[in-house]
Amino acid sequence: MASVGNEHHHSNSAIRQLSIGTAIAHHGELVQGVFEDDRGRLHRGLVTLPLTGLRSTARFQLQRHVPLTVVPNEKSKALRAAGLTLALLGHDRPGATLHVESDIPVGHGYGSSTADVIAAIRAAAAAVGTVLPPATISRLAVAAEVASDATAFEAEAVLFAHREGEVLEHFGSSLPPFHLIGFRPEDAEVVDTLNFVSARYNAEEIQLFRVLRGLVASAVARQDPGLLGRAATISATLNQRHLAKPHFDFVMGYMDRIGALGLQVAHSGTLFGLLMDPVLPSNAPVFGTAKAELLAAGFSHVEVFQISGAGGFHGIRY
Amino acid sequence: MASDIDYFRALETPRLSALGSNLVAAAFPMMKLMPARFILDRAEKAGELSSGGRIIETTSGTFGLALAMLAAARSYPLTLVTAKSLIDPPYQKRLEMLGAEVVVLDDDQGDGNQAGRIAYLHDRLEAEPSTFWTRQYDNPGNPHSYARLAEMLVRRVGRIDWLVGCAGTGGSLCGTGAFLRHLFPDMKIAAVDTHNSVLFGHKAGRRMLRGLGNSVMPGNVKHNLIDEVHWVGAYVAYRSAHRLLREQGMFMGPTSGAAAIVAEWIARRDPDASVVAIMPDEGFRYSATVYDQNWLNSHPGWTSTSAYEPANLTTIEPRTERDWTRFEWGRSQKPSL
Ligand SMILES: Cc1ncc(COP(=O)(O)O)c(C=O)c1O
Repeated sequence: MASVGNEHHHSNSAIRQLSIGTAIAHHGELVQGVFEDDRGRLHRGLVTLPLTGLRSTARFQLQRHVPLTVVPNEKSKALRAAGLTLALLGHDRPGATLHVESDIPVGHGYGSSTADVIAAIRAAAAAVGTVLPPATISRLAVAAEVASDATAFEAEAVLFAHREGEVLEHFGSSLPPFHLIGFRPEDAEVVDTLNFVSARYNAEEIQLFRVLRGLVASAVARQDPGLLGRAATISATLNQRHLAKPHFDFVMGYMDRIGALGLQVAHSGTLFGLLMDPVLPSNAPVFGTAKAELLAAGFSHVEVFQISGAGGFHGIRY
Repeated sequence: MASDIDYFRALETPRLSALGSNLVAAAFPMMKLMPARFILDRAEKAGELSSGGRIIETTSGTFGLALAMLAAARSYPLTLVTAKSLIDPPYQKRLEMLGAEVVVLDDDQGDGNQAGRIAYLHDRLEAEPSTFWTRQYDNPGNPHSYARLAEMLVRRVGRIDWLVGCAGTGGSLCGTGAFLRHLFPDMKIAAVDTHNSVLFGHKAGRRMLRGLGNSVMPGNVKHNLIDEVHWVGAYVAYRSAHRLLREQGMFMGPTSGAAAIVAEWIARRDPDASVVAIMPDEGFRYSATVYDQNWLNSHPGWTSTSAYEPANLTTIEPRTERDWTRFEWGRSQKPSL
């Protein structure tokens, strides 16, 4: 990592180069709730399900005598994030152009906005020769967009306080491998994340979240997707009491019918995901059957992803 | 409040020790700190317990000691209401050393005078309405506090097939059990009780093994969580505690001995299952009794041999302190008495 000073960067030829940052999407959360930090204080937190096949890419060009601008100009959070990044690194009044391009669908819980923000932070940091650690990127992302997710940590499984941008727990490894059947209701409306009402959990639920946290830790330590699927199902079921999703009962029933390891949702989005045994081959008949049956039941965008598998990500589109 | 969090949290944390290839024990120095701290924290947050306010409870067990330690550290006056047949002088001294007011009521029947203790407690609540009653028998904070234990067990063991633990108020077993059952719906729960306790359908009577069992039915015992019940006699429990000390170096109280003998039997019978057992306290409090050969020999029924298997009951009834019995409860509701 290059060291970062102040003034001399403006005369450094490296900064005139185009810099690029990318960031991944996610498929909602495996667990979301309220969790204690080491001092016994409660924070809203989540375990993100990262999806490395969809990306946002930011291109950043430092230039003198131009204002800091973004293309397309509705990506204002990405712009703010780039500005905050440069300020943190000691470049207070930079001129630059930021181009953000993404293949992540907006508004269904794939984390498109956070991906734009993180890509912009990485591109801006790269422009001044710096690679920021995930913890710093996450804090900048929260500063730019109120709440964020844990995709700056890529495949590393963490319990993340998404309002503060702080890691409550590093689970010490990546998620266990599994196949994910992702889908969403055909009639699903785009969700505005920031207008979501926060769930108010009762004392018993908060205690249950503590046990779910232990279950995720155990799933990661043992690389056991069955334990992870169970944690996701319980979290999704708890969430249903607070922010009910249409079609939830059908999907729970379908989970049992096809022998899935668990069900996860995008807590502020429309996505459902069924966790499937990783020993199944990617072309196992169950995936084709599920696709047909889910389409027939009124869902769309049915896709199979391989999560944390040996070869990394493969998105299989049917 | 924040200042005590680390020390008391550490003190309430059990050691998790493997007692066999498929058996892990949660060995607590003092289990009751877990519900006591949780109930006080929650009462402080809810404004039910204000700074300097009095705490009251009727107890003769380790819950009283746990409250006394926390009340002393947090500067609350504490009143513990007990009865002559239930309290021993060293224990009373230890409570008083911590600043607790110990009210010892007469009980000529030697049955603990539960009715008298509750009546006295209500008088005190009326006289000083700001007093906070911890109500460990039915306070949901008692079972809820054991999410910490459930979390620790899941981290250590992963999937759990059997949970074995004593039932007194029901807080530890039913609290831990309810949380773990959410995770593992097929997990079985074995309750460890003793003869002449009403919890699973015996008539109340003199009980030699203290800490588990009860003469009244606490709301925190959730019968429909329980798959099987074991009634362990005092001598069986003492023997088991001695064996834990000799074979594993674990110096635990007699109710831990009772939980161990049941858990070991289940783990032997079902070698592919992962079994966890809850052990509530250490042996120090029992050094002049359970761990004193002269004291043991002074009991006419005391024997150095002990059962290695429970006798299956067809009708629920008490046996002697040398006996260990079992009944397949099958998650049914409260016993009719
Ligand atoms: C030594 C000992 N063992 C077992 C128990 C039973 O635990 P619970 O009240 O959680 O059922 C207690 C409760 O006081 C105890 O003190």
